[in-house]
Amino acid sequence: MDSKHHLISEAYQRRKKGWDKFFKGLFWLAGFISAIFIILIIVFIVRKGIGPFLPSYPGGAYPIGKFLTGFQWRQDSAIYGVAFIVINTIISALGALLISFPISVLTALFITKIAPRSLSRIMTTIVELLAAIPSVVYGVFAAGVIVRWVDSLAAMAGFSTYGGNSLLAVSILLAIMVFPTMTSLAIVAINAVPRELVEGSLALGATTTQTNFRVVLTSAKSGIFAGLILGLGRAFGEATAVSMVAGNSMIGPTFNPFNITRTLTSTMLAGLKETQGLDYDIRFSVGIILMAVILVTNLGIHFVKDRIGRSMS
Amino acid sequence: MTRKRRIYDGILNALTYLSSGIAVIILVMVLQFVFVRGWSGVNFDLLSKPYWSGNNTIEFPQFKTGAFDRPDHLGDDIAFSEKLGIGLSDGLDAYKEHQVVVEYLDPESPLHHGVVSTAGVDLGKELGLSEGSNIVNLMLKDTDDKIVNVGAQRKSTAEETVAAMDNISEMRKIYFKTEGGGINGSLKATLYLIGLSLVIALPIGIAAAIYLNEYAKANRVTNAMRSSIELLSGVPSIIFGLMGVSVLFPITQLMGIHTVSIILGALTMAVVLLPLIIRQTEESLKVVPIDLRYASLSLGATQTQTIFKVILPSALPGILTATLLSISRIIGESAALIYTMGTFIADRPRLDQGATTLAVQIWSLMSGEQPNFELSSTISIIILLIVLALNVSVKLISYRINKKWSVS
Repeated sequence: MDSKHHLISEAYQRRKKGWDKFFKGLFWLAGFISAIFIILIIVFIVRKGIGPFLPSYPGGAYPIGKFLTGFQWRQDSAIYGVAFIVINTIISALGALLISFPISVLTALFITKIAPRSLSRIMTTIVELLAAIPSVVYGVFAAGVIVRWVDSLAAMAGFSTYGGNSLLAVSILLAIMVFPTMTSLAIVAINAVPRELVEGSLALGATTTQTNFRVVLTSAKSGIFAGLILGLGRAFGEATAVSMVAGNSMIGPTFNPFNITRTLTSTMLAGLKETQGLDYDIRFSVGIILMAVILVTNLGIHFVKDRIGRSMS
Repeated sequence: MTRKRRIYDGILNALTYLSSGIAVIILVMVLQFVFVRGWSGVNFDLLSKPYWSGNNTIEFPQFKTGAFDRPDHLGDDIAFSEKLGIGLSDGLDAYKEHQVVVEYLDPESPLHHGVVSTAGVDLGKELGLSEGSNIVNLMLKDTDDKIVNVGAQRKSTAEETVAAMDNISEMRKIYFKTEGGGINGSLKATLYLIGLSLVIALPIGIAAAIYLNEYAKANRVTNAMRSSIELLSGVPSIIFGLMGVSVLFPITQLMGIHTVSIILGALTMAVVLLPLIIRQTEESLKVVPIDLRYASLSLGATQTQTIFKVILPSALPGILTATLLSISRIIGESAALIYTMGTFIADRPRLDQGATTLAVQIWSLMSGEQPNFELSSTISIIILLIVLALNVSVKLISYRINKKWSVS
């Protein structure tokens, strides 16, 4: 190789290397931006949500103790107590899971193990369709249909309702909305159960049904639990549809399924008009509580799951 | 197998059938509800009509009655005035209020030639009555020189209104409402939002996916990056709304926008979409065979060249999937947009002002004192059809990707 050619080639190589470095930096920056947002979300919302409780808040600080332990939420007289709302949120989500969890797991088992191939494909599509329906559409459905079910159920039980808006309506709505999430995770979990386990169970003389319910579901339980957690997260965080049927009670907590309720998310959306002032800023405080509730329940379920897992093994 | 065992197994299996049946019933009921309540409202006019009906009062400086023939195509339920050439029917608006609707207007009718009589910038401008409008009040002098008021406000039926019209000597003024209840503004706002969000989110998301899949070493920093992005996808959308107005609002303020706006909504949606785009793109980068990279590099191409000329083209179907799923997500999104774009239905949306998307228009319609189920259901049908079409496309694409790489 003559030296001149060698020199050109070196400059060329350097330039190419420069571009390589530049693009690597650019790609890294994109990754960094994507990753940093979760931190920005937490920092900014916590900062803005704590604002109303600090002495420097314009118009005077709202007592944080009253906020955390209050059992009344009245926008009109500026009383903001979040304790009963947390209880309501947890009750309505648990109610939803109570309805939805068994149905999801059984449907997943049906799709993966029991249904004939064609039927299983149809059911998979149906679960995907249910997952694709946007939450406002479920909200319209809930405000038009579910409330009427609840109303007639209440009439049969001798209760009266506020047009069907109630804790029960919220739970049924959420049950429908978390169903696709939990079902698809349960399907994945069941499909991941090793074939040897199933065959071993069959070889020992268990019937197919026994194997499905005893062996398959037990081995898939950690995946099914993951679906439960995801479903619970969705139930806590769902806002627009829930707001349409919650009824937004001012006091609580609500234990009667036919009574109106108020969840953290419906509180954040209710009567949203101004974009400043205490009534607006306190929604960020509710946002902190919402994130905390999701985090704590996730950790709690993990803890319970570990305990169950250990006791069973 | 004992008899008891068989019965027990049968019951358990029946339970799984029952559960699946419940899922099917729920889907059918949701679809049935929105289609029954909303199908009658689905037509192309809806897409071009504004939501707010315009209030107009017009007078007629030169007014001459004519002699018009009733056209054959008018139905029996439409009252026709032979002096004014107008066909009217009784109608109900979304809130079950009585309306006197202009169904037909003869091209030669004198009612085309009015001028605006209310004070304002439009005073004196020519404005005619139009088909689809609701005649709220019509003031005229009858043949006995008596002032007569008819129209929806007076609870006059179409027959009564036409009877008064045929007895006219002089027209005073008409107060009418142009037809509203459309979704033109929300449709435009949705399209703006989709375009803008994708322009922001796609480059960042794809670049981030390339970094994670092609460059990132398997170490703790990369793991932290991955789990941060994973966490982002689990954040409820209402929290994204709070994020928009606290983290991103200062950015739009730098652009000189001091209220909620479509731009703020787009920035927020871009963040919502990032995890989805990154995951989909990475999936498609993963299935590109490593041999392709080696071949390109050994031919002397740099890593940058390899990425842009070899890997990205192969990952294109995955990026397309990500785009379609993103559009579907934007169309269905509501809570985050209520915070960042507001809930006021804008007929002429602008990027630097608040507006509603189709989904948020539903929220606006439902959260008022009197929920408007009809229009909400109609919009729901439109949203469902779009989302369904997008999902089918995604399935077709992923089917083709699988076929492509399983052959090679």
